[in-house]
Amino acid sequence: MSGYRRPSGGKIVERGKTVTFSFDGKQHFGFAGDTLASALMASGVMLVGRSLKYHRPRGILAAGVEEPNALVTIMGPDGHRAPNVRATELEIYPGLACESQNRFPSLAFDAMAASGLAGSALAAGFAGKTFMGPTFGLMKATRPWMAYERRLRRLAGLGRLGTEPDRGRSQKMNAFCDLLVVGAGKPGIRAALEGADQGKQVIICDNGATLGGYANWSGDPDISAMVTRLQEMDNVRALTRTSVWGWYDGMTLAAAERLTDHLGEADATRPRQRHWVIRAGHVALATGALERPLVFADNDRPGVMLASAAQRYAAMYGVLPGKRIVLFTNNDSAYATAIALKARDANLVAIIDIRADVPEAAHSMAAVAGATLHTGHAVTGTSGGAALDSVSIAPYRLETRRTAGPGQDIACDCLLMSGGWSPVVHLPAQRGDAPVWDEHLQAFLPPPTDGNWSVHGAVAGDFEFGDGLSPAPAPVIEIGGHGKAFVDFQTDVTADDVRLARREGFHAAEHLKRYTGLGMGTDQGKTAGVAGMTIMAEALGTSVETVGTTRFRPPYAGVPIGTIAAERHGDLHPRRFTPMHDWHVKNGATMRSDGLWERSAAYRRWNEEAAQASLREARAARRSVGIADVTPRSTIDLRGPDAARLLDHVCANTIADLPIGRTRYTPLLREDGFIWADATVCRLTDHHFTVTARAGQPTPMLEHFEFFQHCGGTAPRVHLTCVSDQWATMALAGPRAPDVLSACVIDTDVDTRTLPAAGVVHGRIAGIAVMIARPDRPGPFGYEVRCAAGHGLDVWNALIAAGEPFDIAPIGLQAMETLRIEDGQLAASEIDGRTTAHDLNLDGFVSTTKPFVGSAMMDRLGLKHAGRHALVGVAAQKGGRLLGGSHLVASPDKQNPGASLGHLTAACFSPTLERHVALALLAEGRARIGQTLYATDPLRSGTHIAVDIVRLPFLDPAGGGGHG
Amino acid sequence: MADLITASGPSGVPVSSPLESHIVAGEFGNLAYGARVTLAERCGLAICDVQAWPGNTTRTARAIGKATGLPAHARGHGVGTLGQAFQYSPDRWTVIANQAELAAVIANAVGDGGSVVDLSHGRVVLRLAGEKSRWVLAKLFAIDFALSAFPVGRGIGTCHHTIGVQIQRVDRQTFDLLAHRSLARALWDALTRAGEEVGGRVPDRT
Repeated sequence: MSGYRRPSGGKIVERGKTVTFSFDGKQHFGFAGDTLASALMASGVMLVGRSLKYHRPRGILAAGVEEPNALVTIMGPDGHRAPNVRATELEIYPGLACESQNRFPSLAFDAMAASGLAGSALAAGFAGKTFMGPTFGLMKATRPWMAYERRLRRLAGLGRLGTEPDRGRSQKMNAFCDLLVVGAGKPGIRAALEGADQGKQVIICDNGATLGGYANWSGDPDISAMVTRLQEMDNVRALTRTSVWGWYDGMTLAAAERLTDHLGEADATRPRQRHWVIRAGHVALATGALERPLVFADNDRPGVMLASAAQRYAAMYGVLPGKRIVLFTNNDSAYATAIALKARDANLVAIIDIRADVPEAAHSMAAVAGATLHTGHAVTGTSGGAALDSVSIAPYRLETRRTAGPGQDIACDCLLMSGGWSPVVHLPAQRGDAPVWDEHLQAFLPPPTDGNWSVHGAVAGDFEFGDGLSPAPAPVIEIGGHGKAFVDFQTDVTADDVRLARREGFHAAEHLKRYTGLGMGTDQGKTAGVAGMTIMAEALGTSVETVGTTRFRPPYAGVPIGTIAAERHGDLHPRRFTPMHDWHVKNGATMRSDGLWERSAAYRRWNEEAAQASLREARAARRSVGIADVTPRSTIDLRGPDAARLLDHVCANTIADLPIGRTRYTPLLREDGFIWADATVCRLTDHHFTVTARAGQPTPMLEHFEFFQHCGGTAPRVHLTCVSDQWATMALAGPRAPDVLSACVIDTDVDTRTLPAAGVVHGRIAGIAVMIARPDRPGPFGYEVRCAAGHGLDVWNALIAAGEPFDIAPIGLQAMETLRIEDGQLAASEIDGRTTAHDLNLDGFVSTTKPFVGSAMMDRLGLKHAGRHALVGVAAQKGGRLLGGSHLVASPDKQNPGASLGHLTAACFSPTLERHVALALLAEGRARIGQTLYATDPLRSGTHIAVDIVRLPFLDPAGGGGHG
Repeated sequence: MADLITASGPSGVPVSSPLESHIVAGEFGNLAYGARVTLAERCGLAICDVQAWPGNTTRTARAIGKATGLPAHARGHGVGTLGQAFQYSPDRWTVIANQAELAAVIANAVGDGGSVVDLSHGRVVLRLAGEKSRWVLAKLFAIDFALSAFPVGRGIGTCHHTIGVQIQRVDRQTFDLLAHRSLARALWDALTRAGEEVGGRVPDRT
C-alpha cells in the first residue's frame, strides 16, 4: 500500500518549495504547506505508529484534530522533546525531526507487539484486575500487584517527555469582542460577515492553517471570495491555527494559537504559541462535524482511513492515500467524497454500502466515480500485515444486523470508511448542558442555546452534501466478524471491551469510560464516542439517548501547559526591590526571596560561608552597630478624624491616648480572639497615624482595617493607604547606634531625652528629611530611620559613612533572625494563627479597659487554660544543634521519646551565648521554665538533644547576662 | 508632627528612580516594521492619592480639577493642562502633575472635606505609547482597551500577575501605568518582553 502525490493540485501546498524533514531518522521530502501526515503519505509511508496496548501497527486515520493514531514526538535541536503531536496538524518545516512512539526497538519491528497474542488477558479493565490476587498463598491479596507494578507502569503511557526545558516562548492575550465565531468554514465565515456588516467587533478562529474549512476541500466555489472579503474588514480579527479549547464561566473562552510552530527555527522575539482568553458578547459556533469510523474486524490496519480525510488530503495537498481504493459507508456523504476523489484521478474500485436501498443520486455518483457499487454489503475484515492487501465483504441485512451469505475479497491498498457524522458539540457541552441525541442523524446535537450563543452549519445538523444526498446514516456502526474491532483507536478499546464493561456492571457512560479507557486518550475519543455509546446501548437493549455521553471538559484539544502558563515565571516572576537593592548586590549580599521581596540574607566577605557571615553580622550588632534594610516592612497610612477610633477598634493595645510623636506596639486579634499580626502604631498628628508590621502584611492589614472601617460603620472618615513603597526604612542595632546617628543627623538631637523609647523625631541626614523612631519594647533594633524612597540610597550611604568609625556592619536576614530569637521577638512562626496574646506573653500589650476586635472571645476559658502552649526559650545543654520544627519531649530515650509537649518555632546559634537557642511553643510552658526537656528530630537530623527551658528574652534588656 | 514627605520640601538632592540602573535606551524586539511602541519612565512627577469624606465628592473633584487644569464637568477625571487624574474607586482619585506642591495644593483646596496622601516616591509612572500599545497591554491585563470601552482620560486599577497597576489612557495610543516603586522593574520587564513581538523603543533618559 502506498499513498502518492498527484502531479498537480493541492490547494495549500507550494510545489515550488521543497521541505526536508526526518521521521524515525530517515530523511523525507514534502512541500511547504504539507502536514507531516500528508508528506509521509506522499512518500508512501503509511505505518506511522503503534497502538497503546496491543502495539498493533497503525496508520493515518484522519486529517485533523480528531486523529487518534498518528502521534509523533518532535525532537527539538536543544534536546527538548514534544510528545503526542498529531501528524495531521504538524506542518513540516526545514529541519523538522520527529519520531514515532510506543515501539521497541523500531516501528517496523516492535517486540511489544507480542502483547497482541495475550488475547483476552489484556481486555478492558486488566490493569485494575491486577490489583486483585488470590485469597490464600504467597501471592494473595495485592502481592501480585506489588510484584509487577513497576513493569506495568513502564508499559503505560503514550510518548515520552524529555528532561530539557521547552525554550519556546508563550504569551497570553486578553481579547474582547462582540462576536466570537468558532470555526471558519463556510457557515462560520457567513456568521462573521453578518456580524461585521452590523458593525460588531468580530474574532473568528479556526484550527486550520487557512480559512474556509470543509468548503476548501469540497470545492465550494464561493469560499475564496468570502474569505477575501472577511480579511479586508477592519473590525474582524481572523485567527488561523487557533484552537478554541475551553468555554468557562460566562462568556469567557480559551484558545491556543500556534504562531511559529510551523516555522521551525523561529524568531526569538516572537512567541511560539499564544494563549487567548476571549470575552465575547455572543458566540457563534460553526465547529462543523467529524466523520465517524465504522467498527469491523481489523478496522485499524494501516491503509484504513476516514473517507473525508482522503478527500481533504487530495484537495488540499494533492495526495492520494492509495492506488486501489475501496469505500465503505452507511450514509450518502461518501458518494460526494467518491466524486471528489475521482476528480483527482483516484482509482476507486468499489463502494460498499451497508444499505440495500440507496438514493438514485448515489447510484449515479458511484457510476461517475467508476466504482462498483455493492449495496446491502458490509466489510467484514481486512487482510495484510502492516499494510492493507484486501478487504472481505459480505451481504449484510440491516434488519438482522448480520451478514447473509458468502463473501468475497477485494484487493485494495486503501479502505475509506464513513460511519456518519458527529457534530462537534464540545464547547457548548463544556458549559454543563448535555448534548441532545438526534435519532434521524444518529448523532448528538448541541444543547439548547440560552440566546448568548448560536450554532451554524454542520454542528447544528445542517449538512450540505449535495442534491439528493441525505445526511442521515443507517443506524449501524458495528459489523460483526472475527478479529479485534476497534472503537477507540488510541486507547485500544474494542467493541468486545464495551460489552465486557456492560457484563461487569459498568453501564453508565462515565463508568464505561473509566473501565475501558474509551475517550481517555489525547484525542478524547473524538472518533469513538458515538460508536462506544451505540454499542453499549445495543448491549443494554436501550437507546443511545438513555446511555448519553460523558461530561465534556476542556480542553477540546491538547494544549501545552507552558502555553497556559505563558511568560509569568522565571525571570518574569515579579520581584520587589528596595531602593538600596543595587547597593546590597554590589557589597556581596546573597539575595534571598522573602515573599516577593528580594532581601539580603547575608553579606559575605573574605570567602565566608553565609552562616559565618551572619554570625559576624550578629556579633557586630551586639558589640558595636549594625544596619539593616527593613524597607519591606508593611506600612499603612491612616488619616482622618476617625483614624484613632478605627485603630482603637482593631488594635488590642490602646491607641486613642497615644501622644503625638510616639509609637506603641500592639497585637492585632481576629474576632475569635487569636492573634493574627502584631504592629507598631505611630501617631504623627492628631488625625494621622502609620501602622508598621512585618513584610508581606500590607494587603491583609488593609483588608482588615477596611473591613472594620466599613462594617463597624463608626469610622467613615479614614483614608487608608499602603505607603510601604513610599519610604525607605533602615534599622540600627547595637550600643553604638546613637553615636552613628549623632554623627550624621542634623536639625534634631537623638539623645534619650529628645528621643526616648517610643519616641519619634524629625531631622535631616545628608540634607534629606528623615524620621527617626524608637520602639517602645526591647528588641534588637533600637532605632528606625525613614526617608522618602527616592532618597533611600543617599541616606543609607550617609549612615554607612557615619558608622565607619564604629565598624558598622550591614546585616542580612539570617543575622536579623538570630538577633530576634535572642531577644525573644515574634515572627510568623510564632504568630501562626493558633496562638493567643497570652500564649505569646503579650498580656501587657492588651488593653483591659476597652472593647476591640477579638476582646470578646480572647478570654474564653479554653484560651486561658494553663495547659496551652506558651512561648518559652530553649537552650541546648551540650552544644547540640537545634532545628526549628523539632519536638520537645520529656523522655531522654531517643527510641521512645513519648508524646510531644511542643515544638521549636525558630532556632539559631547564638553568637552572644555561644550555644544553640530556640523559641518554642510548649504545653504548660511557663510552669516548665527551669526544667530539662529533649528536642527530638527523628525524621531529618535524627538528633535528640537535652535542652533547658528558659524565660525570654535570652538576653537581659538591661544589658546583663543572658537567660541561656 | 508633620507629614514626612510633604514636610521635606525640595532638598536639592536628586531623587533616584528605581529604574535608573535597569533601563537600557534603544530599540528592542522585532523591528521588521519598526518600533511600534515606545516605553519610558515619567520622572519627577508628584503623585497623590485623594479621598473625599462622605458628602464631599463634588468639592474634592473640583479641587482636583483645579489642580490639574481639568474642566469643571470632568469631575476630577481626565487629562488636564496641569496634570491628570482619575477616579479609581468611590470617592478616591489618583492625581499626577508636574508640580512639587501638588499634595499641599489639593489638601488646601479640599480642606476638611477629604484627605491627601503624597505617593510621589512610592509609585512610578511608565508611559506606553505607539500604534501597538493596546496590543502590548492586552497581553498583561484583562481590560478592554478599545476606545469605546476605555476612552481617553479613563483610569482603572488592575493587576498583572501580582503587580498592582493603575492605568490611565492619555490619548488614543498612549497609556500611563502607575505601579508600586518596588515592583517597577518587574513591570518594566513584563512590558518590554510583551513588546518584543511588535518592536519597541526606549528613549534616552534626558
